[in-house]
Amino acid sequence: MKKSVKLICLLLSMIMLAGVLVACGNNTAGGTKSTKLVVYAALNEDEMNAFVSKFKEDTGIEIEYVLGGAGDMSTRVQAEKDSPNADVLVGGSVDVYEPLAKDGLFEKYDSPNNDALDARFNDPNGFWQGWYMGVLGLVINRDRFEAELKPLGLEYPKTWDDLLDERYKNVFVTSNPVTAGGGYIFTACQLFRLGDDAAWDYFAALDKNVHHYYKGAGDCISPVATGEFIVGMSWVHDIYKQVKAGYPIDVVIPEQTAYEIGGVAIVKGGKNKENAEIFVDWLLTQEIGQMNTTNSNRYSVLESVASPEGLPKLEEVNLVDYDRARAGEMKPDVVAKFDADIVSKR
Amino acid sequence: MELILLSKSSERINEMKRLKNEPLLLIAIILIVAFTIYFVISPVFQLVTIASPSDYSILVETPRWVRALGNSLLMMVLSTVSCTAVAFAFAYTMTRLDVPLKKFFRFITMLPIVSPPFIVALSYILLFGVQGIITKQLLGLQVDIYGRLGLWIVQTITFFPYAFSVIYGVMGKVSTNLEYAAYNMGASRWRVFKDVLWPLCRPGVAGGALMAAIQVLTDFANPMMIGGDLALLPTEAYMQVVGWYDMKTAAILATLLLVPSLAIFFIQRFWVGRRSYVTVTGKEISLKPYEPHKLVKWGMFAFCCFISLFVVTVYGTLLYGSFTKAIGYDWSLTFSNYSYVWGKWQQIWNSIKFSTISALFAALLGMILAYIVQKKSVGINGFLDFLAVLPSAIPGMFLGLSYVIAFNSPPLKLTNTSAIMVLALLFWNLPTCYSASNAGIQQIGNSVEDAALNLGANSFRSFKDVILPLLKIPFLSGFVLSFLRSVTCLSVIIFIYSPSTATGTTSILGLVSYGQWGAAAACTVVLIAIAFTVLYVAEYFLNKRGASLNI
Repeated sequence: MKKSVKLICLLLSMIMLAGVLVACGNNTAGGTKSTKLVVYAALNEDEMNAFVSKFKEDTGIEIEYVLGGAGDMSTRVQAEKDSPNADVLVGGSVDVYEPLAKDGLFEKYDSPNNDALDARFNDPNGFWQGWYMGVLGLVINRDRFEAELKPLGLEYPKTWDDLLDERYKNVFVTSNPVTAGGGYIFTACQLFRLGDDAAWDYFAALDKNVHHYYKGAGDCISPVATGEFIVGMSWVHDIYKQVKAGYPIDVVIPEQTAYEIGGVAIVKGGKNKENAEIFVDWLLTQEIGQMNTTNSNRYSVLESVASPEGLPKLEEVNLVDYDRARAGEMKPDVVAKFDADIVSKR
Repeated sequence: MELILLSKSSERINEMKRLKNEPLLLIAIILIVAFTIYFVISPVFQLVTIASPSDYSILVETPRWVRALGNSLLMMVLSTVSCTAVAFAFAYTMTRLDVPLKKFFRFITMLPIVSPPFIVALSYILLFGVQGIITKQLLGLQVDIYGRLGLWIVQTITFFPYAFSVIYGVMGKVSTNLEYAAYNMGASRWRVFKDVLWPLCRPGVAGGALMAAIQVLTDFANPMMIGGDLALLPTEAYMQVVGWYDMKTAAILATLLLVPSLAIFFIQRFWVGRRSYVTVTGKEISLKPYEPHKLVKWGMFAFCCFISLFVVTVYGTLLYGSFTKAIGYDWSLTFSNYSYVWGKWQQIWNSIKFSTISALFAALLGMILAYIVQKKSVGINGFLDFLAVLPSAIPGMFLGLSYVIAFNSPPLKLTNTSAIMVLALLFWNLPTCYSASNAGIQQIGNSVEDAALNLGANSFRSFKDVILPLLKIPFLSGFVLSFLRSVTCLSVIIFIYSPSTATGTTSILGLVSYGQWGAAAACTVVLIAIAFTVLYVAEYFLNKRGASLNI
């Protein structure tokens, strides 16, 4: 039997050897410090590509990036904290940045370009920087609305309360605040807008119309676009992307809507800190703000940047008085109550 | 009783002591154990221990997760039973019945394995949703696929091929001679099936069911898209990461998933038991399978056709949609989705590269492990078996996440390298390959090797000339299966890919999360095409040698 065992060992050592070779052959670390920047981006690929080529053109710095959801990207930064690979985290709500800042994963940076901004866009502690705004809205399938709801005498909803109309029963979808960040912001929005008691009545009433709660805020858009449902709640800039793709959908921004602030932060221990600072400054220039608004349909934090084409001007959007700090504090209780009172009773 | 236990354990110790005489085997075992502990158990342990024991109290305090556990277990049982049943029907039809379309059926059983997550669910919604092309427009039905029933159907179709690949492999090897012997002695068809074929297929069925069960249990893409309000553990855990950025809770939920996964493992072992399933003897004469009643035969055939039609429709929609301007709405044709994918050849090449390397090593390691566990008494056979199957109990996403945590700093810093991608995929695929080899080896009688030895071959020759050729098919099945899984895998690599190691599936995720369904569909079609090309090339070379692949 010995020889057969020998063969096994041979095979095993081959595996090991190959493993080592693979490990050595693909070491991507290195590269010159001055002309590189590693970015973890919770942005669309097209948006990011535009940044990459423009940044190279403006500064000569080469961007390497990883794209993903805000959660994926922040999870990566968290996981890599002992030996960070990224220099910059960009995109996604600053609510994501807050816990990372608390854990000391970001480098403080106060960009000279942020002085003119509204105070809510600058982190009081200096760890993150707001650079765009996203607002919540409704996606409406025009074809189905006109064929099925208009004959019943309905017009497009103008307020969140309009959604309580029983004619929306089973054709409205939204996201679950237990699982979706956007879903929670919507919930907090109602709490700020209506006050505690009235808001919980609102959720119970709205629940009667909800076909089901999607796990992510963005998940509501495609089903409405393809006509599976008629009305959905999601981020306006994401909805607008589907509008541009040619689907028969419209965007409605109800009165008293909530918003997120999109962030950027410098990762502590990144290898290209100076380039990261250049990137943050660059992101806050009018030209880049305009470029991003055109590409992503998001509102810029800069007043000099025009609102996205086809969407109402930011001044015309009626925003709720959204208290981010309180929204963060009350989250565990609200989420638990929502699950117990609404979702688990479905 | 105590005495028996005592003698058993002393027997094991004796077996271990005997290893001293076979130092090479000993080294092999030590290496395997060390590797698996270092690359599977240790990273997962590090992830699980992110949360302190007191953090685990949230499990009891949050009713949603208690519900999620219940839902996950229920779905697992439902979908596993249906997956195994469908898989058995396909395997039986293809190994025992003389019916047309067998090649087509084989293609059908491979399609779901090679589809990347997320995108196929869109097809289901377009076809069978509230406004579904088939359900509403064709049949005029008012159905609602969002929820348990829809998920059950989708999971059955998505995961039955995993069970099939194992059952088919085993059933194909079960000799028809025994069945003929039973018929000759006057047994009815049903009795032959019940008392001869079924018991011989049981290791395959159990292995297949185990495979499907774990796939179902750790599936997070389908529940996301079609689960409706149903809370399931993997989805909840995934959303804790991507929706709430809460790794601790995610780790806790993942740990909760490990419990049923391990339970499946023990149930399978108990059910299969320690019976002997030896059927490959030295004197094989294949007789044509004895046909069942016509009604059964064509009933089975019709059933396979129905399932196939279903799969073809779903994937056909996807294929057609990838050529349209706005999938699901504007069905006019365009190539723009494909020109978009064209710019991603680097990522697609990465997919091929990592999948090939990892599948090769996974198949090798799986085969060696299966051989040792089955044919060598080393005292820790059960433990080795456990190690080999263990990665399948770990959701891919968490295996990846645990790699980021474990291999991000010296002594072994692997983040951002291709090595981490290959290693993660390798160990994720180990159970697949191990099961494939295992099912094959279980059926090789010791007498075959003994016969070779008696005829004067030394043990090396008997391994090389007797065992290895018999292992060729399980090995290749393992290789191809894990290649296909890797090419289309997203969960394992979602947290570990870097700019230079991005793959086809990570591109799809990016496209899907920003609503670019058309481009995502095109990318999916390209990956599926690659998978099948590799598969058919492998098969072509095998056929030239007179062998065939059982997937």
